Amino acid sequence: MSLYSSGTSAASSAGSSVSSTTKPSEIDGLLAGAGYRVRSSDLRHVAQRLERLDAAMVNSPAEVSQLASDAVHYNPSDIASWVDSLLSELNQTASLPSDLPELPELMVGPGLNQTVLAEDAWTDHDAPQHQQLNNQFPVMTAMEEDSGIRLVHVLLTCAESVQRGDLAFAGSLIEDMQSLLTRVNTSCGIGKVAGYFIDALSRRIFTPQGVGFGGGVGLDPAYENEVLYHHFYEACPYLKFAHFTANQAILEAFDGHDCVHVVDFNLMHGLQWPALIQALALRPGGPPLLRLTGIGPPSPDGRDSLREVGLRLSELARSVNVRFAFRGVAASRLEDVKPWMLQVNPKEAVAVNSIMQLHRLLGSEPSRNSPIEMVLGWIRNLNPKIMTVIEQEANHNQPGFLDRFTDALYYYSTMFDSLEACTLQPEKALAEIYIQREICNVVCCEGSARVERHEPLAKWRGRLGQAGFRPLHLGSNAFKQASMLLTLFSAEGYCVEEKEGCLTLGWHSRPLIAASAWEAPLALPDANSPAAAPGIFVNPHSNPPINSL
Amino acid sequence: MLTMRHQPRPSPRPHEAMQQMKAEDREKKPKFCINDHIDILIEILKHLDGPSLGVASSVCRLWCTIARSDSIWEHLCFRHVSSPPPSSLRTIVVALGGYKELYMVCVRPVLSRLLHSDLVRSSVWTRDEVQLSLSLFCVDYYERRLLGDTSPSSLMFLCKPVNV
Repeated sequence: MSLYSSGTSAASSAGSSVSSTTKPSEIDGLLAGAGYRVRSSDLRHVAQRLERLDAAMVNSPAEVSQLASDAVHYNPSDIASWVDSLLSELNQTASLPSDLPELPELMVGPGLNQTVLAEDAWTDHDAPQHQQLNNQFPVMTAMEEDSGIRLVHVLLTCAESVQRGDLAFAGSLIEDMQSLLTRVNTSCGIGKVAGYFIDALSRRIFTPQGVGFGGGVGLDPAYENEVLYHHFYEACPYLKFAHFTANQAILEAFDGHDCVHVVDFNLMHGLQWPALIQALALRPGGPPLLRLTGIGPPSPDGRDSLREVGLRLSELARSVNVRFAFRGVAASRLEDVKPWMLQVNPKEAVAVNSIMQLHRLLGSEPSRNSPIEMVLGWIRNLNPKIMTVIEQEANHNQPGFLDRFTDALYYYSTMFDSLEACTLQPEKALAEIYIQREICNVVCCEGSARVERHEPLAKWRGRLGQAGFRPLHLGSNAFKQASMLLTLFSAEGYCVEEKEGCLTLGWHSRPLIAASAWEAPLALPDANSPAAAPGIFVNPHSNPPINSL
Repeated sequence: MLTMRHQPRPSPRPHEAMQQMKAEDREKKPKFCINDHIDILIEILKHLDGPSLGVASSVCRLWCTIARSDSIWEHLCFRHVSSPPPSSLRTIVVALGGYKELYMVCVRPVLSRLLHSDLVRSSVWTRDEVQLSLSLFCVDYYERRLLGDTSPSSLMFLCKPVNV
């Protein structure tokens, strides 16, 4: 793994002799642990060169991509000469900074690179994958890179000792990590994500009881959550994708019906519904009568937030001439909602909309008459025309703590990475707090307090299939709309994928959120009955286009 | 050296003839002023793009009135749509703030953003882009009403290009 350099100055060429005349004590210890040989006295020089390399790469992006695919890198452990060889490979005409600043701190690379580098380390916990690392762009200094990798290693070790029950050791590791944190840039990349996970772990270790992420300074936690949710909606496209995809599916399912009823499992500010109301207003043949039942947590001190949202939606519906009726159902948990509260009329077409709510009903292990089964049961008995399910595409409900932790680290790093592209403040900061709360719940909480029990789409397919639901394919309109929406976000890196009729939105080929649609066909009392239920032979692809404009 | 003699008037040279004709025309026909022909003016203004319409509205009061009328902006919004929009659309757009608002807040940024990508190759866009713009416009309208004075940033992502 390590190749020795005989270079006495940083300008030595590659292909060096085996013996080294430098004393071991002069070689930087931290970097040696990562497999690099750089003399402590050379560190500043190497860092300067890396800065120049960074500037040269920024100025000639075309050649950089060639470097990535075609170039062969020699002797990467000798960073100094390697960086020099890269610099000379890039054209000499690339403008270099005329005077290099004194280095008060080491250069930081873009967050993506740091996370991508760290991801490689997770595939093999025991030995850092240096060869893989060297195939990426090492746009940050080796020292930072090393600290980032170490952070991940210590995080995983800490999680593993928590799983074992060795809280004393875990606690000491927290201190190690906090000192490592001072060596990385905590405003982006692996430093930022690690900071949140270290915080969550220390909460778990040092305050084991009552680790619910309590409300802020005397604020109503539900209201706080609404505000954070709204900023998460603004800062990144995940919720917009969820809303638009669900609306498209609901619109298609409501085609031909004059009385429609939407049940929203988490109303919040009702941001999903204006677009549906407007689309219904424009549909050929005119809008139906729309009823919306919004479920949400009760608000304290007399404020009826559900009703306020309902009023605004009614105003909007009135201005676009859609007959609209709203009903609010206040419940702190979804399992407390009973179907009679929804007052569903048997003649109307029902759509059930669940955006990141079903996972809250899950428990640690499957049991009979669990909340999820109960709720899915009464949904099914409503005979909805469509149920839209949007869930995080993650496996955060595994029984083993280490597995959960590792998956969460990967998942939320990717999510934070995607958030780097956002420049809106304070939206971005509050969105990060929103995500941080999820992280805390996954890492710190157990039992009924842990509500963020995300499961991947494959598991939901199984669960919903067993509960009697049949999948509905989201059509090409939904896919086109989602792709267009992402283009508008113009942060390249988001990707929409279609898989067996479901859509997922992800960052750089890691899906982060999955949208699917389901229907509950009418139960046949007798399989041989000639009166087949109308819902059986649905061909969703034959639906006419939504708005012929 | 020219000697002045009485001579019959020489035949005029071509450019002199033209000038003479124009002078006569000016005396016979009234001046043409575009402001007297509002329908022609509207037709011409319909072909302008957004920024030019803004400039046009500074010319004079008449131009200002016309350039700010929603019908011109309606034409601008759907100029490049392959099929004409339904009549029900107008009520809705007017209720949500009008065509000029729709253009400034949604159509223009969406169109320019999509043109930069590969998704829309020509300047003609389909009902899908129109529908998406309308939905975003509706969400924006709702947020303004719901949140009151604070300007919502739901559509700010359209205005601020992001360099990743």
